[in-house]
Amino acid sequence: MQIQYKPKRGLLATIFQAEILQGMALTLKRLFSKPITRQYPEEKPQIRTGFRGQHALVRDPKTGKSKCVGCMRCAMVCPSRCIRIRSHKDKEPGSRRVIDDYQIESLRCVYCGYCEEVCPVNAIVLTEFYEYGSYDRRSLYFTMEQLLGNWDRFAAQLDRPVEEYVNPFWRPRGLPEQTLPAPKRLPVSPEWSGEQQVVGRKWRQHHGPEQS
Amino acid sequence: MTILLMLVQIIVLFVLVMLHVAYATYFERKIIGHMQVRLGPMQVGWHGLLQPIADGIKSFFKEDIIPEQADRPTFMAAPIICLVAMMTSLAVLPFAKGWVLADINIGLLFIFAMSSLASYGVVLAGWASNSKFSFLGGLRSMAQVISYEIAMGLSLVGVMLMSGSLNLTQIVEAQGNSILGMYLLPQCIGFFVFFISMLAETNRVPFDLPEAETELVSGYCTEYSGMRYAIFFMAEYIGMMVMAAIGTVCFLGGWNGPFAVPFFPPLWFLLKIYLFMFIFIWIRATLPRYRYDQLMDLGWKLLIPLALVNIVVTACLKAMIG
Repeated sequence: MQIQYKPKRGLLATIFQAEILQGMALTLKRLFSKPITRQYPEEKPQIRTGFRGQHALVRDPKTGKSKCVGCMRCAMVCPSRCIRIRSHKDKEPGSRRVIDDYQIESLRCVYCGYCEEVCPVNAIVLTEFYEYGSYDRRSLYFTMEQLLGNWDRFAAQLDRPVEEYVNPFWRPRGLPEQTLPAPKRLPVSPEWSGEQQVVGRKWRQHHGPEQS
Repeated sequence: MTILLMLVQIIVLFVLVMLHVAYATYFERKIIGHMQVRLGPMQVGWHGLLQPIADGIKSFFKEDIIPEQADRPTFMAAPIICLVAMMTSLAVLPFAKGWVLADINIGLLFIFAMSSLASYGVVLAGWASNSKFSFLGGLRSMAQVISYEIAMGLSLVGVMLMSGSLNLTQIVEAQGNSILGMYLLPQCIGFFVFFISMLAETNRVPFDLPEAETELVSGYCTEYSGMRYAIFFMAEYIGMMVMAAIGTVCFLGGWNGPFAVPFFPPLWFLLKIYLFMFIFIWIRATLPRYRYDQLMDLGWKLLIPLALVNIVVTACLKAMIG
């Protein structure tokens, strides 16, 4: 294949530098177009479901504690290794694993959402809250209490009951229903499973540019 | 008494030019922002209108860092040389009929001398900083100014031939009875050469090689900070304004306009200057930087021969017709 780096042009185009004039016309046209800037702190972006923000441990409404069973899948799948779990199990048979501590170093987290996808009991979630920057590293090193507190704060500002909240990541995409553990067989809109997934650039075509 | 009056005039001009420089930065940021479909400064004041003042206060109170290995006296003098040279050339600009501080007969030559001196400041800054980026910036500036000074001087010879004077006021008056009241059409080659070498003289994109951010950090002003850096910027913007003023005076007919404005005679002059400034900014928003050898090629192989041809043609026509 031959690549023509310098396209041929006529004498007039050379004298008047047609390419430069084309570029100038383009920038002049853009001068009168509407800027796409969003003045962030005053004008908030619209957060869609499935936004991966601050971490939280779901508080089980029945027990009032975390749903976590200490299977360590999230800690293993985490690409940035930012999850640390300490648990113990009593010697007598039939006793359940007790979680002593569940820590997330959110400064190292890459917000991939693998932990919530892999969790068999939907214990961990990346909430849609994202403004939690801090001047202090220690406060971004979430312990179990803080993670449960994050969930409480997130649940308080939800517009529907907590029981009905379903994070789309809890139902991994593209997997048939029977291969999933029971708690993950959740009703999610078809946009999130199967063929009609609306992701990335498709979203803009779907909902118009002002919401993106 | 005349000295006092002169002083008052100088101070008024100084203050106005300083304000102009401050708001030229705002103008530039806003226009480039909108051309890139952004908003530009929005936070300080209504639509960021107080941004230049905030910038000025910030750079005034910033720490003035001088590198240990720098040549101290030269380092401190360089921005001042730049600024003084640029501001001195403001004295000979005719803003309107009689609105000129020093109506000297060698006005055009004086401006050339001063703009060359300003690049002397840039070269010294590059040398005194004792850093490789600054040094390269200084060297580039030197080579660029030497090559483009020639083209620019030659491009204006045509105007001198047609008007028969070096006095800026007389040049404007001589244009009154030519086509459109300006030398733009008879001197179109001269204007083309002048325009390109004007961009190169003021170190603007696409010829901003002395301070190429992408290669040389910030070129000759890499080691400067705070007020000294701001002085370089002021010098650059005053330089833009002076060059725009020469362009206006020599090719666009100075203060002459379609009709006379009763209370504010420099209106047309200022409008033409702002047109030039807008084009400067417009080009900056559009074009990438030239490569160094392309810059030299353009200067020596195209602009200087073109300017020489222009001189010969103008002189022949003048001899035959006038």
